[in-house]
Amino acid sequence: MKAHNLVSTLVAAGLLCASTLASAYEGDWKRGRIYYRSVCTACHAAQAGGSIAPSTMTKAEWVAYLQKDKHAKGKDSLKQYVSKSYRASIRAQNKAADKFAELPDEELSEDLKAFVIKGAKDGDAPASCS
Amino acid sequence: MKINLAALLGGLLVAGALQAVEAPAPTKLNTTADHSKFKELQHEFASGPEVTKACLTCHTEAALQIHRTKHWTWEVINPLNNQRLGKKNVINNYCISTATNLGACATCHVGYGWVNSSFDFKSQVNVDCLVCHDTSGSYKKLPGGGQPPVKDTENPPGSGKIVKAIDLAAIAQKVGKTSRDTCGACHFFGGGGDGVKHGDMDTSLASPDKEVDVHMDATGLDFTCSTCHKAPAHDVVGSRYMPTGKDSGDAHMRGKVNKSNPATCQSCHGQAPHKAGAQPAKLNQHTDKVACQTCHIPQFARGGVPTKMHWDWSTAGKLSPEGKPMLKTDAKGHVIYDSRKGDFVVAENVTPEYGWFNGEVTYTLLGDTVDKSNGITLINALGGSASDGRSLIWPMKVMRGSQPYDPVNKTLVKPHVAGNDDTAFWKNFNWEKAIETGMKAANAPFSGKVDFLKTEMYWPITHMVAPKEKAVGCNECHTKGGRLDKIEGVYIPGRDANHLVNLIGWLAAGATLAGVLLHGLLRIVRRKN
Repeated sequence: MKAHNLVSTLVAAGLLCASTLASAYEGDWKRGRIYYRSVCTACHAAQAGGSIAPSTMTKAEWVAYLQKDKHAKGKDSLKQYVSKSYRASIRAQNKAADKFAELPDEELSEDLKAFVIKGAKDGDAPASCS
Repeated sequence: MKINLAALLGGLLVAGALQAVEAPAPTKLNTTADHSKFKELQHEFASGPEVTKACLTCHTEAALQIHRTKHWTWEVINPLNNQRLGKKNVINNYCISTATNLGACATCHVGYGWVNSSFDFKSQVNVDCLVCHDTSGSYKKLPGGGQPPVKDTENPPGSGKIVKAIDLAAIAQKVGKTSRDTCGACHFFGGGGDGVKHGDMDTSLASPDKEVDVHMDATGLDFTCSTCHKAPAHDVVGSRYMPTGKDSGDAHMRGKVNKSNPATCQSCHGQAPHKAGAQPAKLNQHTDKVACQTCHIPQFARGGVPTKMHWDWSTAGKLSPEGKPMLKTDAKGHVIYDSRKGDFVVAENVTPEYGWFNGEVTYTLLGDTVDKSNGITLINALGGSASDGRSLIWPMKVMRGSQPYDPVNKTLVKPHVAGNDDTAFWKNFNWEKAIETGMKAANAPFSGKVDFLKTEMYWPITHMVAPKEKAVGCNECHTKGGRLDKIEGVYIPGRDANHLVNLIGWLAAGATLAGVLLHGLLRIVRRKN
């Protein structure tokens, strides 16, 4: 029983440590800008009938949208399009996906979030698509 | 169970030890100093100078270095002709002059508080560190002294538009190297708007793709401005006031002292840059006459942002039937008439004009004689010819316009355009008042008469280098009516033809062919001998 408690404590401590490290990452808005424009916008412009500028939504709307994690009206998840596997699938045709191929998903998600929050309608620097 | 527990703990310790070796502690890899850890920056700042004061506690020489630069003085003496240049002195055919318009223009000064001649150029805390070293992208400066908004501020006053306050401490804690965004905050907006002035610099270069610029391509080489425009002791090299027309040196090498301009193409690519392709040797033969930019920048303003090509101040001041200033836009929403400024022509994907250029620039300055009857007054005359051995054929943006001058004293003028006072042209639309104020401040004579004359200003193009596949093709120059049609003093095959030379050439070729045939025939006929 004691051993079980010890293992549990070690695991919990490890998880706490890992989550602290993950949450310490601060999104790089410039990297987010590259991915947003070169991957999100490029695909939306070509296949989804038009791009979506960060400045079309407020910061609160972006936060809510990202938290919901629903892409294409709920048909799939947003995270999927930031994932390493997605980047690997398009890296031959997309230089941004290739450049960021090895980035952890969590970091790239934070980068994107930093860019859209900064570029939101009420953000520090409302941003267009291009 | 005890054995198992010991084994588990042992395993964890070994795993931990291995992890410690394989995974170093997380850290920032793009800087050696995390400024958020400095206690000097961990408090609220009520002004820009307060931030600078904190910066100077460690960076003790930085402000004094800045004081020596043209970014601070806005003044530079051209050693070739002793002209006193810099933004403080030159006249252009955009917003014309900074003189009494510092409240607006000096928003882009690397300092705080320059609105008139009382500004203290010796003050170290007046240096604005954040405008170049902000990495947050949140830093802002307000017109009327270039102070950052530390509280919500109505700008312009009376407009109802609120500029939100920024958190100077948060910005100061994230300072870092300069970037395309920080340089671009001013240089992309020269002339009063995005892309207006340069033609080869606008916000499309903040995060461009390879099509717009091969060097700055955000997913490729990702050059920042300072990759080329190096800044020893904060003094950025590569000035447009003293450009390099022809760099005949080799590529720069580490460890080798090289005092030539590091922002030229040759400083990296050398004199024989073409290594592959169909005819690299033939292409390399061009580099003694043709600037790299001439072939590798087929058009400027290629990033989706138009640049101003013509500005007619003579039509400024027209008001609506209700007596209000007007704005007119084209089909794309670009302003083509503004009561405050006159008529504009804007354009994207502009094919440059071309001319010989040796790096010498002579400005028409305040006090220089101008004459409307001469036709066009050159704001900056570029030196160069086919025969001086120092020139290359360069691509240019030629900014054309019509601007006010004093027809009695025959000088260009410095009108007071920006400001909230009774004499500012953008307030009262009265040229005489605006020019009188501007010339008085410049301590220059003004007759009271105003007329307009046509001007041209030349901008050698050097950014927006296209992928090599998009370089200008041979047949775009080597043809009659091609890009280099107006270039004088050099023989360009395909463009130039002399009937006598052509006749002699064809006769020589024909005679050679006849000789070969005759020789062959004789060998056949006499083969048995």
